[in-house]
Amino acid sequence: MSQNPYMPQLATIIEAFDETPDIKTFRVVLQDETAMRAFCFEPGQVAQLSVFGTGESTFVICSPPTRMEYLQFSVMRVGELTHRLHTLKEGDPVGLRGPLGNHFDYRAMRGKDIIFVGGGLGLAPLRTLLLFMLDNRPDYGKITLIYGGRTTEHLCFKDELREWAERGDMRVELTVDNPDKGWAHRVGVVPAVLAELGVSPENAVAVTCGPPIMIRFTIQALEQLGFKDEQIVTTLERRMKCGVGLCGRCNIGEKFVCVDGPVFTQAQLKGLPQEF
Amino acid sequence: MVARFLADEAVAAQAAAWAQDYRLLAPVREGQAVVYRPWAPDMHPFLGRPPSSSAKQALLPQTEDLLTYTYRKDHTDLTRTEVFLAEPLPPEPTLVLGCRPCDARGRKLLDRVFLERGVKDPLYAAKRANTFFITLACERMENTCFCHWTGGGPTSEEGSDVMLFAVSGGFVARALTKTGEKLAAALPEATPSALQELEAKLASPVEPGPVPDLRAAPERFLALFDDLDFWTDQSARCLSCGVCTYLCPTCSCFNITDENFGLKGKRLRTWDTCMSALYTLEGSGHNPRVSRAHRLRNRVGHKFCYHPREFPAPDGARQPEVSCTGCGRCIKSCPVAVDIRRIVLDILEKGENK
Repeated sequence: MSQNPYMPQLATIIEAFDETPDIKTFRVVLQDETAMRAFCFEPGQVAQLSVFGTGESTFVICSPPTRMEYLQFSVMRVGELTHRLHTLKEGDPVGLRGPLGNHFDYRAMRGKDIIFVGGGLGLAPLRTLLLFMLDNRPDYGKITLIYGGRTTEHLCFKDELREWAERGDMRVELTVDNPDKGWAHRVGVVPAVLAELGVSPENAVAVTCGPPIMIRFTIQALEQLGFKDEQIVTTLERRMKCGVGLCGRCNIGEKFVCVDGPVFTQAQLKGLPQEF
Repeated sequence: MVARFLADEAVAAQAAAWAQDYRLLAPVREGQAVVYRPWAPDMHPFLGRPPSSSAKQALLPQTEDLLTYTYRKDHTDLTRTEVFLAEPLPPEPTLVLGCRPCDARGRKLLDRVFLERGVKDPLYAAKRANTFFITLACERMENTCFCHWTGGGPTSEEGSDVMLFAVSGGFVARALTKTGEKLAAALPEATPSALQELEAKLASPVEPGPVPDLRAAPERFLALFDDLDFWTDQSARCLSCGVCTYLCPTCSCFNITDENFGLKGKRLRTWDTCMSALYTLEGSGHNPRVSRAHRLRNRVGHKFCYHPREFPAPDGARQPEVSCTGCGRCIKSCPVAVDIRRIVLDILEKGENK
């Protein structure tokens, strides 16, 4: 493999499908089969996807390392690169650099109750950890997923949400801000659901990801429930270019989200300059 | 080691000789500015005052290739494309003529980022191993100079391969490294009178003025971090033009973009600036550094707080290692006279009682 940290590996899209009106999921495999077999990552790590001629951008690998038939990325159409990605179809080549960044400390979470709190596409990084835990189910206590979206159609991974709810070994609570007819779940924002459920902080870890405003209120709700800073885990989003701690832009103080993150505990975040 | 002599009238010819073996970057006058340009036969290197741009371009060019790509259509199935990637060309050996001590010292600070922080950048490393500096010691300090704050000085040798000292009729050249010796070998020996003149000059060095104690800067910066009124006040004039970062010998932030020509193209690394709102603007529209106050805070913070915290000076050091060589270009070229020295002094003063 190239020593050049900016040189992506070539990958092929083997499947591409819509999650929501503006989110598309891509499943990719490295073109070099040996490299694909050797590809090793931890839940929560990210990778850079390239469309040569447009650029590259950072996305979480939202499939778990326990399922290596492909690497999955769910991408919201927001900018130039993601618009171009959304035009790609099965068989198209992309570049992949990764894995990059740190990961969820799933070892420290063993034996504990896990509360996932997600909003919109914030479910993507939670999905990799959730599936990893479901594949190692005996290692973990009660697993709860609280997931919300703006509307029903903005919820991601809908088939899996149904599947997870039917498993019987985890709890799934869904909520939307604006329900449509036939919505049989909760209505309202995610932090309110947390308070309603009265989730216990005892021997528990809460993992949250979503839009910045949702994360902020979720952390407040968790604190009110008695969660300590070390029990609250979140992932940060930053504009990134190099992904290896050199290009500068994702710094928070002297930390770089691309290498020291994207996963942080609330305790770690409190020790940083408040600029995120 | 023998001291050599480079006569004023021999500079151009000697530069041409060095340019045989190296890609030579030399300062030339262009309008009001003095900028580094690659050697051309009709060039007249201008050593009369510090260049307006920094020598970092020798190690971190304004634009450089990271890779090239080529798409190829599958002629049996036109819906399919394949892409091929290639590494960039290796760099040429480079010689910088006539930079100043503050520029040569910038090398160490770029090394911190590209070689020591974590991932070693092989593109930078290749240039670093093959780039040499012939530095001209400063005879005086301009009113924007503050190299003495950052551990340097008008005759600081750090990072240089050859030092030139101005004397009557030319320069005394002192080689500092093996490559420096090779570079200086072609020059005639300095005459005793030239050496005497130099010694007399060095014996009465420029008096650079007082130095603030910067050891407290990181802590006081953090104490003021959330005081947005302070930062709004400091950045009130800033236009976000970014010239401070582009001319800085230690600013190393870069952008990565693709430049497409039909079915092929290049991925480029280009200087970027933390003074731009786009620098941190996320796809979602969220921007963690939404105002000029936030962005100026980051520039000053990186140089005088984050860098010394990331690369702590040894215990007992008189000053922390800051990511600044005191060249003063950000002050001199700022269209609205933002002065980083003033900001640092204000941090030291106002952060004390926070």
